[in-house]
Amino acid sequence: MRSWGDPEPRTRLGALAVIAAALTAAVSCAHIDGEPDPSDPWERMNRGTFRFNEGADRWVVEPVAKGIDFVLPDPVERSIRKFFDNSMFPVYFGNDLLQFKPVSAVEDLARFVINTTIGIAGFFDPASRFGLEGHREDFGQTLGYWGVPPGPYLVLPILGPSNPRDSVGLAADSFSTVYPWFVPFWVSSAITTGNRLNQRSLALDEIAAERRAALDYYVAVRNAYLNYRENQVRDQEEDEADDDDLYYLD
Amino acid sequence: MLRPARIATAVFVAVVSGLAAPGVRAATESEAGARTVISETVEEVLAVLRDKTVPTEDRIRSIEQIVYGRFDLYVMSRLVLARSWKRFSEEQKAEYVEEFKKYLTNSYGSRIERYDQQRVEIVGEREEARGDVVIQTKIVGGEFEGALVDYRLRNQNGEWRVIDIVIEGISMVSNYRDQFKSIVSSGGPELLLEKLKEKNAAGMTID
Repeated sequence: MRSWGDPEPRTRLGALAVIAAALTAAVSCAHIDGEPDPSDPWERMNRGTFRFNEGADRWVVEPVAKGIDFVLPDPVERSIRKFFDNSMFPVYFGNDLLQFKPVSAVEDLARFVINTTIGIAGFFDPASRFGLEGHREDFGQTLGYWGVPPGPYLVLPILGPSNPRDSVGLAADSFSTVYPWFVPFWVSSAITTGNRLNQRSLALDEIAAERRAALDYYVAVRNAYLNYRENQVRDQEEDEADDDDLYYLD
Repeated sequence: MLRPARIATAVFVAVVSGLAAPGVRAATESEAGARTVISETVEEVLAVLRDKTVPTEDRIRSIEQIVYGRFDLYVMSRLVLARSWKRFSEEQKAEYVEEFKKYLTNSYGSRIERYDQQRVEIVGEREEARGDVVIQTKIVGGEFEGALVDYRLRNQNGEWRVIDIVIEGISMVSNYRDQFKSIVSSGGPELLLEKLKEKNAAGMTID
């Protein structure tokens, strides 16, 4: 998620490009049925990148994540996820402030203090039990809050679903994460990769089931990403105009 | 040793959560009706999920009965197809509703073993401008701790029925609509029915 801040992302991408070349060689060019979706003018390119990512997942990421899942019990994986979530505090806090949400900022600060101490370096989340939920604001959401449109749907290599606004957000947030400035590149890469693999191992069954069930997995993921992000930018407030379109056919 | 810190924390949390507490408002009659449907359904489903003495297949059947009794599958199917609905003949419509139902069972039934450690808390409700009611819930415990799930209900002939489930902003109706749209526009109702039947024939693999 945060590998945008890494100074040499090419090293890792280079290794994966070899695998990707082998994978994509066997697959024909992206085929698109019917009219293009207005939210996805880059569909042809995106489907190509998506297929590359799926290949990388099937052959590299998922097997490693299965290994992790075999070794670590789920509660441990969830604790690791909480640790990474807690370490994101500077990002959350900064973006609370950039969105002029002082209450969220104070709550996120309180969460960080409680979870880092009572929650043992963030591996546990007692703050949620006190009713203090995280707000998890990022710079992509901040830009959205400021009125910057997301732009077309964009699938990034390895990093997955995004759009130009969220890509900029991801890059900006990675600079406000503190540790990459103080540790060698390989350490921060390992941490980032570890976080992503851990998250993947928590989603093994869900992703497998969704892949199996979807009539068009690419579209299912696109729709989920767009709606999930929109909902985050709106802070779970409803969008009446959108709802009317969805729930009334007249 | 810990006491002063704990007291300070408790006070701090109380103050902060007090700041964030939403205004309390009495539920409307519609909201109360819809809320009952959701809380009853959730309780019944969770009871089935937790009873591990019954084989998975049978539990899926029980959940199907409970859930589909409270879903308006016809409205849901129509909303999913949206403008494409008109392209379906009466026969195709009936066939589609039936296949869509099977498809939902296959898609979600296989995952039931994952949901047995959780509780569901109703955290809010709102009545929409045109009479639908949204019941907001939060999952407590288990795999999906903290996930927000909204149920949208519509009143048909005095009964509240679920017409959409929205998980963290991701609407089931919207997601299927997007997937099905391009299939119908390229291959017509026939292609969609064919694809659904194909998926349904592959059946359900229980994880």
